[in-house]
Amino acid sequence: MARLVDMLVSAVLLAGLYATMAYGLGLIYGVLRVVNLAHGGVIMAGAYLSWYLHEQLGLDPYLSIPVVFGASFALGVVLYQGLVRRLPRGAAGGPASLLLLFGVWLVLRNIAYLLFTGNDQVLRTAASSQSVAVLGSHVAVNRLVVLGIAAAIGVLLHLLLRRTQVGRAIRAVAQNADSCTLVGIDVNRIYALSFGIGTGLAGVAGVLLATIFSFNPSSGSSELLKSFVVVVLGGLGSIYGVALAALIVAVVEVFAIYVLPSYLTAAVGFILLVLVLVLRPGGLFGQRVLS
Amino acid sequence: MTARVVAMAARRTGGALLAACVILAVLPAVLELSSYTHNQLTLLFITISGALAWNWMGGFVGQVSFGHAAMFGVGGFVAGRLMLSLHLPPPVCWVGGAAAASIFALGGHPLLRLRGPYFSIATIGVGEASRVIFTYWERFTGGSSGLSLPIDADLKYRLYWWALVLAGCMAAASVAIRRSSFGLKLLAIKADADAAADVGISATFYQDLIFVLSAAVIGLSSGLYASYQSYIEPADMFGFERSIAFVLMAVIGGVGTALGPVLGAVVFVLVRLYLLSSRPDLYLGLYGGLLILIILFEPLGLTGLYRRGQRWVRRASGQAPGGAP
Amino acid sequence: MIKPPHFRSTLCCLLSLATIAMAPGCKPKAAPPSDRAEILIGATLPLTGSEARAGGFYKEGYDLAFDEVTEQGGLEVGGKKRPVKLLTYDDTSTQATAQSLADKLINSDKVDFLLGTYSTALVEAQSSVPEQNKVPYVTGGGAASAIYKRGYQYIFGIMSPVELLGTTLMAWIDEQQKAGKLPRPAKIALLAENTAHGKDFRTGVTEFANKSGGGYEVVVNESFELNGKDYSPLLGKVKAAGADLFLADAHLPDYITLHRQYLDAGLCHKVVSYGARGSEKDAVNALGRENVNYVLSGVWWSPQLADTIPLAKKFVEAFKAKHSGRTPEWYQALGYETARVLFAAIQQAGSTDREAVRAKLAVLKIDSLLPGGTVALPADKGWEAQNSFIVQQNLPDGTAPIIFPKDVAKAAGIAPNPHCTP
Repeated sequence: MARLVDMLVSAVLLAGLYATMAYGLGLIYGVLRVVNLAHGGVIMAGAYLSWYLHEQLGLDPYLSIPVVFGASFALGVVLYQGLVRRLPRGAAGGPASLLLLFGVWLVLRNIAYLLFTGNDQVLRTAASSQSVAVLGSHVAVNRLVVLGIAAAIGVLLHLLLRRTQVGRAIRAVAQNADSCTLVGIDVNRIYALSFGIGTGLAGVAGVLLATIFSFNPSSGSSELLKSFVVVVLGGLGSIYGVALAALIVAVVEVFAIYVLPSYLTAAVGFILLVLVLVLRPGGLFGQRVLS
Repeated sequence: MTARVVAMAARRTGGALLAACVILAVLPAVLELSSYTHNQLTLLFITISGALAWNWMGGFVGQVSFGHAAMFGVGGFVAGRLMLSLHLPPPVCWVGGAAAASIFALGGHPLLRLRGPYFSIATIGVGEASRVIFTYWERFTGGSSGLSLPIDADLKYRLYWWALVLAGCMAAASVAIRRSSFGLKLLAIKADADAAADVGISATFYQDLIFVLSAAVIGLSSGLYASYQSYIEPADMFGFERSIAFVLMAVIGGVGTALGPVLGAVVFVLVRLYLLSSRPDLYLGLYGGLLILIILFEPLGLTGLYRRGQRWVRRASGQAPGGAP
Repeated sequence: MIKPPHFRSTLCCLLSLATIAMAPGCKPKAAPPSDRAEILIGATLPLTGSEARAGGFYKEGYDLAFDEVTEQGGLEVGGKKRPVKLLTYDDTSTQATAQSLADKLINSDKVDFLLGTYSTALVEAQSSVPEQNKVPYVTGGGAASAIYKRGYQYIFGIMSPVELLGTTLMAWIDEQQKAGKLPRPAKIALLAENTAHGKDFRTGVTEFANKSGGGYEVVVNESFELNGKDYSPLLGKVKAAGADLFLADAHLPDYITLHRQYLDAGLCHKVVSYGARGSEKDAVNALGRENVNYVLSGVWWSPQLADTIPLAKKFVEAFKAKHSGRTPEWYQALGYETARVLFAAIQQAGSTDREAVRAKLAVLKIDSLLPGGTVALPADKGWEAQNSFIVQQNLPDGTAPIIFPKDVAKAAGIAPNPHCTP
């Protein structure tokens, strides 16, 4: 029984991280219908940025979140205005946008490699080695903080999209971009904004990742895939869907270790992705992905 | 574009292809090639076959796969196992590898219902899942120790011609498919699968067909690769880097064109060889940058640049625009 | 279907090429022997990429050995002193590159012999090339016994197999158990990376446990993916199993990640070991001194051997002189020794004829800086040296003395782990 609680607590904490990673990818796809293959690269960049700030300026990673958000947001806007905007819209743009953003990911990887070498890095702070007792199991403080921040981001995102003018504009563009131009919404600006917020969230996810796990320039591919599973499973247009989907994915991963030999658990995320795409492409709450 | 004009162009391409193959076939006898160059050319031919095969899926039918390494791995390991455990002659093993890869592709049938980015991301999942599962399946792949195949210097030397034949056939087949009604049907599916279905072109059937064909060739080239290296291991054969390489070669050369990937493979291999000696830490960024430039400015890659060059030359020499592209 | 008119004839020509390919007459030309004055030795090393740190260290070892010979005026071969030159390429920690470059070294640069690269995966992949070309290949960078069990005739390794690492660790643990410091039977949680290295470690430990007549019970025996992120499910399993001993085998980055999460989970075992890892400065910095105390590590060589082995002392002094007082680790020692072994074989053969040198390598037995004082390459082990490992333990005072085997031990090891006393 204690083991079960241990595992559930572990899963909930992991879900927080997965949800944060997925929000960024989901927003960009929901609004621009573009799959940001550079998502993993931005997460990695966010991790490195907060690590660098911590090493050089002694800035606590949690305090660096606004800074990393700002930098990643700027990166996203630049990427949009410079590159993504020039792609053809719609189905024809599909493979092109994938390949373009994939190229961006490769460039990000190389820059990180040149600046910081390929060695694994780790963000060690005072919070890293402390743990508290929660429901009878040892819980690392840094994981709790990640959960807290993930929840806060979810709430903020919800407020942004539902309660602000900008949020309404974003949702409108996501539904029907052409009609929006008719009512005077600058669709391009909204696209740039959404892309920026999406990458900003990815950067923050990177900071959270860095406080728990080690990272190197090749990091990002499994984060990208997991984010994608969560987005597809949770459907588009639903923040709660994403949160719930993140929990499901985390639970499956944590409990898989008791069913599969431990080495194969690395494949669980990927298999889940394929199964979800093939069997339930509509996700739990959102729209179908085939049309 | 009349049929006669197309036939003329095809004859030109066919003739050029034939000439190239003949030249390459007698090259080792005419020029005293060092073993190293001989081997690098063998590897180049194997790479060309793989790039062309990927292009059938990614270019002709428009389903960009980031997981082709899965079929490459299956083909190579089946070929390797046949050689090690059953001691069959290498060509039989290569065909066995091709068959295994095709069956694997048939198993991927459900994925073909997905379109665009969903298919692509699913292929990343399949590629990575295969890597983990086959690394774990020690009895088949040898796990992280991989498979060490019997060393045969004669075979490695003759692989040059085997690989050349494969590459040549693949190039001819690519041209043939592209200009045939089969190729037109694939183009139709690429443009709009639903509309194609409306005119009676079954997306499922043709996609399955080209997927299986692509897999068979990848499996064949992988068998040759296994014989060439004499040592294969899952992390390398099933790795994401390998899948990426296929994509890069086809895009750089001209995704969707018949022979673009040949150019792409040549450039890719040359750049890798050159970069290896001077700045090995730049190759990812270089390819990434190339990818971005190509997608933004010349989606047909090197082939597109070549065609632009052709049109410019034709216009400059006063010829009327038109004629076979 | 619109067929290009030449399609059929193209196919015919290609098919005839296929028959040429099958003709038995096509044989590769044998390379003529080079008659240079200097002896050219080639090597690739991972100078960039994931193994860059170790690769750089190995190069230092190679360079030191070559410099020493050059200072003496060259290698004494068949009565003449001939200069030796090392030609290195960076294989970027990639297998395909390591193979390509080995091909280049042999067939384009025409080197006489090859020294190996670092890391089992790279050595295993690369070694097929010198074997195919019948070029002697000496390596100190590939430890998995699988490399040497393939029946290859030209591959020689001075790095002892990782199985021996597992066995040596267990031997020390066994002593502690016999002295009553560890329970009998003792439960072992065994984790290893999913590589040939890790596989060998697990084999070494499990075989010892099986032969111990009930002294040990392996309750967890799992492999994990290299460069993994999240070990908490795996560690949860370890926690639930209630083991006494925690034995793992991991590369440096995974060691850091795994041990961090181990500490986060509040785990503590009577004996903790991460195979060859333990006292690395990077790990101490990343994890904190107090958290790596009492961790055992088994390594191929340690500078502490300078007190008991004369060649080790000579090496340490020469290295410090060249590198402004920095103390070498086992990477540099193995690199240096690999080159030295090749030199010895060339001298004994009295020529640079590859077959002659190969024959001498097969029966080589010379003094060495490795544990035991000599190095030999037994044929029945595929010409892989079987020198003993030495076990070190991190102590709270910041040192990591050798605790086993007794003849080179500097301190008695401490078990059970004082950290864990409830």
